[in-house]
Amino acid sequence: MTLTAFPPPAPDTDYDILRQEVRAFLAVELADFPPDMRAKSWNGFSRDFSRKLAQRGWVGMTFPREYGGHARSALERYVVSEELLAAGAPVISHWIADRQSGPLILAKGTEEQKRAIVPRIAAGELCFCIGMSEPDSGSDLAATRTVATEVEGGFRVNGTKVWTTYAHVADYMILFCRTDKSDDRHGGMSQFLIDLKATENIQISPIIDMAGEHHFNQVIFDDTFLPADALLGEKGEGWSQVMSELAFERSGPERFLSSFTLIEELIRLLGKDATEAQQAEIGRLSAHLMVLRQMSRSVARMLNEGKNPALQAAIVKDLGALFEQDVPRLARSLVSRPAVPGGRDSYAAVLAYTELAVPSFSLRGGTREILRGIIARGLGLR
Amino acid sequence: MESMIHDMAERLFRDNIGHGLRESAAAGNCPRALWTRIEEAGLHMALVPEEAGGFGVPAAEALGLVRIAGAHGLPLPLAETLIANAVLARAGLELPGGRLTIAEGASLQLERRGAAIHAIGQLKVVPFARWVDRIVTIAALNGTDHVLSLPVKDLTVIPAQDLAGMPRDDAEVDLVLTAADAAPLPMSLGGMRGLGALIRSLATAGAMETILSMTVEYANDRVQFGRPIAKFQTIQHYLASMAGETAASRAAAEMAADSYDTPAFALTVAAAKSRSGEAAETVGALAHQVHGAIGYTQEHALHHFTKRIWSWRDEFGTELDWTRELGRAALSSPHETFWHFITDSSAQGTPA
Repeated sequence: MTLTAFPPPAPDTDYDILRQEVRAFLAVELADFPPDMRAKSWNGFSRDFSRKLAQRGWVGMTFPREYGGHARSALERYVVSEELLAAGAPVISHWIADRQSGPLILAKGTEEQKRAIVPRIAAGELCFCIGMSEPDSGSDLAATRTVATEVEGGFRVNGTKVWTTYAHVADYMILFCRTDKSDDRHGGMSQFLIDLKATENIQISPIIDMAGEHHFNQVIFDDTFLPADALLGEKGEGWSQVMSELAFERSGPERFLSSFTLIEELIRLLGKDATEAQQAEIGRLSAHLMVLRQMSRSVARMLNEGKNPALQAAIVKDLGALFEQDVPRLARSLVSRPAVPGGRDSYAAVLAYTELAVPSFSLRGGTREILRGIIARGLGLR
Repeated sequence: MESMIHDMAERLFRDNIGHGLRESAAAGNCPRALWTRIEEAGLHMALVPEEAGGFGVPAAEALGLVRIAGAHGLPLPLAETLIANAVLARAGLELPGGRLTIAEGASLQLERRGAAIHAIGQLKVVPFARWVDRIVTIAALNGTDHVLSLPVKDLTVIPAQDLAGMPRDDAEVDLVLTAADAAPLPMSLGGMRGLGALIRSLATAGAMETILSMTVEYANDRVQFGRPIAKFQTIQHYLASMAGETAASRAAAEMAADSYDTPAFALTVAAAKSRSGEAAETVGALAHQVHGAIGYTQEHALHHFTKRIWSWRDEFGTELDWTRELGRAALSSPHETFWHFITDSSAQGTPA
């Protein structure tokens, strides 16, 4: 049963030097970065941090040198990613571009698009957002209604995108929309590369989440003109292009390390005086974490070898979300210390932040229900 | 992973193990003819070095046989014999051939008697003791681990069995062992508890893969309300959960197998045994839920596999034993952060 087989990842020890370099860099850069900021995990935003990281060669690591990248392997990139996440570094400014938009442009973009955009991603200068969900198209991506109509010299776009993370600061959006009528539910879709700072008639307004944070936005396209060269990849091939991004999006360490700051706070509190019952719970958490990391690194290896581990990636994300969502419950079962939003006690503040963040973990990047549907299809049930 | 010995084992087990053989074994009959075939194929020697009669395959590949045996519900001590031979070879003792088993030896008292060693005590819950020639165990003599090869004919065996009806006997030991049957273990492989936990984790992963495919097949065949029950979303999500838990168990067990005979083994096997033990709960429960009443009968094959994975949780350390050990290591580790502990406890991995 290939679905449940995750080939062994590459030896961890191959990357010891890189790992130590990243740790030394983070120790300096995040020396005064407090736990309640680290708790934001990959949702923390700092252009300054992303630029500094890029100066060390740790953004666009896998991109070819001719496009400003560093021609390193996906496994080396994995080491940098997991170290950033474990430390709670503010990475969102470059994260989406580095993880999926850059690779997408490299795979499907024109030479002009690659030359214009990819080196700036690798320099940590560009923040990307993904225009995917719509008011009537959440998990059901094929229900997308936003439409780009071909006009002289380009396209006119009309429609509304929602839940667009960091659209309010992003430089570019990868827009997924309809370009043609098609009898095939998945046909007639295309992707566009939009310069948000230079395009008129795009209205971006905030959607505040239940934690009081502004990550989401609503993005309205009102007869927005896009030049012909904004088309990314083949017209009509948007669906398969999006699907090929998903294995990158779903299997990384961000799919099980989102609550990691709370884990570190909890373990710091328990320390060497933990009871046997507390030891057992931390042992269980450690076992789950070691295994998720093993599976996620296995997918990274498969991606590096040019395979398409979309099913394994769905399994990693499903299990990973269960794990990271369970951390507040676990913490509360081991330590009696109430959550205090913004409190001076770092454990209490991190617990409060994480409790309010976890509901999103099984929604973003593919809901639990969608992932399980994908796994069920892989098992031959659909 | 392409593996000739895995293909050979798949064929051998597929052609020779069925519901009837598992039923007969659960009733107490040792399938000796099947063992002869296993021995003719040399599978029982896969984990020993080539010069001692092994295939010269990596340890992780040899250990993959245990997962395959688990997938077929093999009612014979192949996994135990693999480990017993590896431990005997490591200690430089003779490999006696035939069926062997392993036992945790912490409860044995050893005393030197000239050139010989007197071993006394009771070995508990020894897998297949009644069906094997020797029990291989590790016990301490003056603080040094010794490997003992105990002839079963010289022990008092008290029969008992696990949930699946497989022999899990106690054995009274009061024996004087010569240098031919006892030797110091120069380089530890991690103790019998860890090695036992490794084979149970691997077998659990294999059995779960079989449970999963049986359950998928049943869900696709069984029609209710005018359609296969596989078309109901609830059933699909149960099966997706089973697949996730099965995949995690296999990855965990293979992580431990990959670090066999390395310093990382102590912690990876703790993770593997506790993770697969936990998964056995979910996988077993959901498999029975999907199968309905027919899966709760003796005539259906499902119970052979669910009983095995539930029994194996209790052997060579339960989830509680192993999570405590892992948690103690995490909480008392000298690492600067928990994250550093996690990255350092990972397996060595396999070079590309």
